[in-house]
Amino acid sequence: MIRPLRLARHFVLLLMLIGASTVSAAPAVYSIDAAKSALEFEFVQAGAKNKGRFPKLAVNFNFDAANLAAAHLDVVIDLPALDSGDKERDDTLRDADLFDVAKFPQAHFAATQIVKTAAGGYEAVGSFTLRGVVRPLRVPFTLRSATEQGASVLYMSGKTLIKRLDFGVGQGDWKSTEWVGPDVNITFTLRLVAAS
Amino acid sequence: MQLRNTTARWGSVAQFLHWLIVALILAQVALALSAEKLHGMAKLAMLARHKSVGITILMLAVVRVLWRLAGPTPPLPTTLKPYERLLAHFTHIALYVLIFAMPLSGWIMTSARGFPASWFNLFQLPDLVAKNRPLYEAMQETHEALAWTLGAVATLHLLAALKHHLVLKDDTLRRMLPFTKVP
Repeated sequence: MIRPLRLARHFVLLLMLIGASTVSAAPAVYSIDAAKSALEFEFVQAGAKNKGRFPKLAVNFNFDAANLAAAHLDVVIDLPALDSGDKERDDTLRDADLFDVAKFPQAHFAATQIVKTAAGGYEAVGSFTLRGVVRPLRVPFTLRSATEQGASVLYMSGKTLIKRLDFGVGQGDWKSTEWVGPDVNITFTLRLVAAS
Repeated sequence: MQLRNTTARWGSVAQFLHWLIVALILAQVALALSAEKLHGMAKLAMLARHKSVGITILMLAVVRVLWRLAGPTPPLPTTLKPYERLLAHFTHIALYVLIFAMPLSGWIMTSARGFPASWFNLFQLPDLVAKNRPLYEAMQETHEALAWTLGAVATLHLLAALKHHLVLKDDTLRRMLPFTKVP
């Protein structure tokens, strides 16, 4: 027969164990190391591929491989900082007919769900807000984790395709896809560091 | 009318290439001047056409030189004074050089600017140089200077052709014109 006191002691011990394991598995919050990250876009202009990048972004990634259900990802892209490699073109992109950065200075990807894919990678499932338009978006990515100088680091990379006209990026003349293609390929390699 | 050149006149291939390039160069001037006044998408479209036509001229220039090297050419009229022969040769060589130099300087210019070009949106052209702002600016000036040079040399060429036709009344112009008889 088990004495009640002893049972209670076992129970407390069990709780402590659960507590300890919960702490070690707590989702870490990762943020971007901008210097070692790149978010690039590629589009077709007058029949030729052109590249640009968004150098300024904020990333908030709550992630624990053992507890995917609690994971979520938040990426805020600073649009006025865009860089297509040409000042005249950058100004055109910032204008009202394209990104309209005066009114919509940020693009926002909010993934409330991170799922594993059959290929062994992940997919961030959420919504993308650009130029005031919100649409569902799934972004596949791969993760590589490392410990660098005592900090937990994640390398996240992947690509996705955005149809610019879905978000109204292209008003007036720019609605035409004859000289600027409808597809924008997004590629990213991000270095994410856990908050200590 | 025959395709190949003879020692009496230019064949129809040489004539076709000559006049087609003349027409395309005039179109280039119109496209470049109108692009300068435009902004945004319209400017982008106009410059893309200018680049496509320029590459077309470059391709035609290659064909033209090969065609010229492959067959006979009608000689300069024997009535020319030595300095006129020299001037005629200089003008012709300069025009050949310019129909290469104009598109090539434009191609280098767009590559250096970081705007890769295509041929009528059908295929992308390789970049001749890496992106380089000072080179772009130098090429822009070169392209413009070459355009003025082409304008001057082509005018000389045109005036000479008219002088042969109207003043000297010889066959120099006629032998480059279709549907004409050269004795």
